[in-house]
Amino acid sequence: MRKEGDIYVVHRLLDEQICDSDGRRVGRVDDLELRGDPPRITALLVGEGLYPRRLPRALARLARRITGPERWGANAMRIPFEEVDDLGSTVKLRKKAEDLGLGMGDDPGRWIVGRLPWN
Amino acid sequence: MKTILKIALGIIAAIGGFLDIGDLVFTTQAGALFRYDLLWAVVLGVVGIAIYAEMTGRVAAVSGRPVFDVIRMRLGFGLGLGALIASTIVNLLTVAAELGGIAIVLELLFDAPYDMFVVTAAIALVVIVALLPFGGIERVFGYGGLLMLVVIATVVHQGPEWGDVARGFVPSLSSSTLYLYFVVGVFSAALMPYEAHFYSSGAIEEGWTEKNLKENRLNAFIGYALGGLLSIGLVIASGFLFHPLGVEPSDLGTVALPMQGAFGETGLLLALGGMLFCVSGAAIDSSFAASYNVAQFLGWEWGRYKGPRKAPRFTASWLVFVLLGVAIAQSGINPVEITEYSVVLAVVALPLTYLPVLLIAGDRSFMGEFANGRLATFFGWLYFAVIVVLALAAIPLLLATNGGGG
Amino acid sequence: MRGSGDKRLRTGAAALLLTALAVAASGCGDLSNDELNRGVESLSALAAQGQLVASGVARDATKSTYARVMAKTLGGEAEHEAEKLADATPEEGIADQRDAAVAVAGEIAGLLSELQTYPGDERHGALVQKHLEEAQEKADAIVARLSGDA
Repeated sequence: MRKEGDIYVVHRLLDEQICDSDGRRVGRVDDLELRGDPPRITALLVGEGLYPRRLPRALARLARRITGPERWGANAMRIPFEEVDDLGSTVKLRKKAEDLGLGMGDDPGRWIVGRLPWN
Repeated sequence: MKTILKIALGIIAAIGGFLDIGDLVFTTQAGALFRYDLLWAVVLGVVGIAIYAEMTGRVAAVSGRPVFDVIRMRLGFGLGLGALIASTIVNLLTVAAELGGIAIVLELLFDAPYDMFVVTAAIALVVIVALLPFGGIERVFGYGGLLMLVVIATVVHQGPEWGDVARGFVPSLSSSTLYLYFVVGVFSAALMPYEAHFYSSGAIEEGWTEKNLKENRLNAFIGYALGGLLSIGLVIASGFLFHPLGVEPSDLGTVALPMQGAFGETGLLLALGGMLFCVSGAAIDSSFAASYNVAQFLGWEWGRYKGPRKAPRFTASWLVFVLLGVAIAQSGINPVEITEYSVVLAVVALPLTYLPVLLIAGDRSFMGEFANGRLATFFGWLYFAVIVVLALAAIPLLLATNGGGG
Repeated sequence: MRGSGDKRLRTGAAALLLTALAVAASGCGDLSNDELNRGVESLSALAAQGQLVASGVARDATKSTYARVMAKTLGGEAEHEAEKLADATPEEGIADQRDAAVAVAGEIAGLLSELQTYPGDERHGALVQKHLEEAQEKADAIVARLSGDA
């Protein structure tokens, strides 16, 4: 699947695993940003904040309770499509996760720090 | 030569690792209640797991996609989340059942309180997983499970009427709801989905590529098939001893009685030892399957080989599943009952986790030349039909038979 | 996982829920002929399994911890069956059989309890095996009388 032709295969891009330049797994394509006419993919959207909009309306409210509302930069990240290096069985990015603000959930620093009672 | 040895050892480990508490419980009950009449259902389930595992292994090796990656890609987020929740519930019940099973076997061997053994078992598993290399763990428990070969020896020693046994391999349906319940149960116990999910993630952890496809096929069709012989042996051994006496097995310890009858204390110890290894291996497989599935669906970093530092959420979720398993196993519900629920619910959830794999395995744009051929396509879809029928029948039968109580 | 207090509360709550369900399930209606039949059949099955365990003890062909734990588990099931039958109200005409069934259940439980106490003693094993066989015959006789009535 090539980067240029994939407007026809959005179903292959959506929900795909994203890996950074080191091969670290940093989430899935939870939604896509389309702009323009004819529509072009301008960004990949990643984060739990995007889950409620993927669910049927009845469950969306419950989901929002669990994941929290969409907060850009916190539980919803935007990856400009230019950052995509290659599309194969994963979406490979040009940069490392930290540079794009991704993979925070698996940041070991955050785990130990986050669990200290005074934080 | 070294590769052949490695593959052979892998197959041997697959044989020994085939049984889990679901197989032990359902085969023994099936034999006691219906003698050899359900052997065909065991075979049906064994062929099913072979087909499912081969497909998940092939998809993992060729496309690098484990089962819950496939599920999210093919079912999308909403339906995929439903599959994840169902699968997680089943896996959690399975972990609890296996932990409870370990505790029961330890209780039978050492006569100390069950609750204590549940905690001991969990701690031991965590320590083993933390300290030993992952591939080594699979092999250790797999080889240990080979102690269950004492079941085959028992059957040979008992010398059943082989004509009667052979008739059991011919499929027959009865109007007895209890019989139909056991058809579902025995099939599902053999085809436990967590095993295939664990297998596909394991393939990726081991770095499988197209070169491993032959090994994949051998593991599935020889490893699991021969492992299925142990299930068949349990049905026969139990049927031979328990059916004429009208024994109704409701405890895990009963599974070992035929081996005690044939070979005395030695047979008993071999059986209990084999059961311990099988159920322990299954506890590890099911707990990892649970965390693999969650991590893969959500896109987290995952993998035992990545370690807690690179995959902290995956590691934490594994520990949570073990802890929850301990809690359920200690809640006072008989592990045999937990087993029954986990097995029946597993087949209900199975269509959602089987279909996406079947679709991707047959999709050339994902699999290239390694997509399902005509034979695989035919049997793949045939099994899907079987699975759907059993999945629909499972809960009504569970309710109608009052949980297999008759 | 916060401490033994929470755990006891949780275990107690689970036990209470299970008891409530069991009481609700068992208290539904009178004890019918079929239900009594089922109960006695399971007693017969328990006795049969008990004999297998006892015979292992009698031949010194088993591990005493295994025999003890099996005897304890089976004995508990026999007692549970006895209580279940005793608590229920029997339908017309089967009250005598119900009482006989409860008596047999008690016998089986008692024998298994003895096996639990002497799981390594061959002489006791042989005696328990023999008496369990007799208890099983009594249970089968009750089943026969129930089928004869029905």
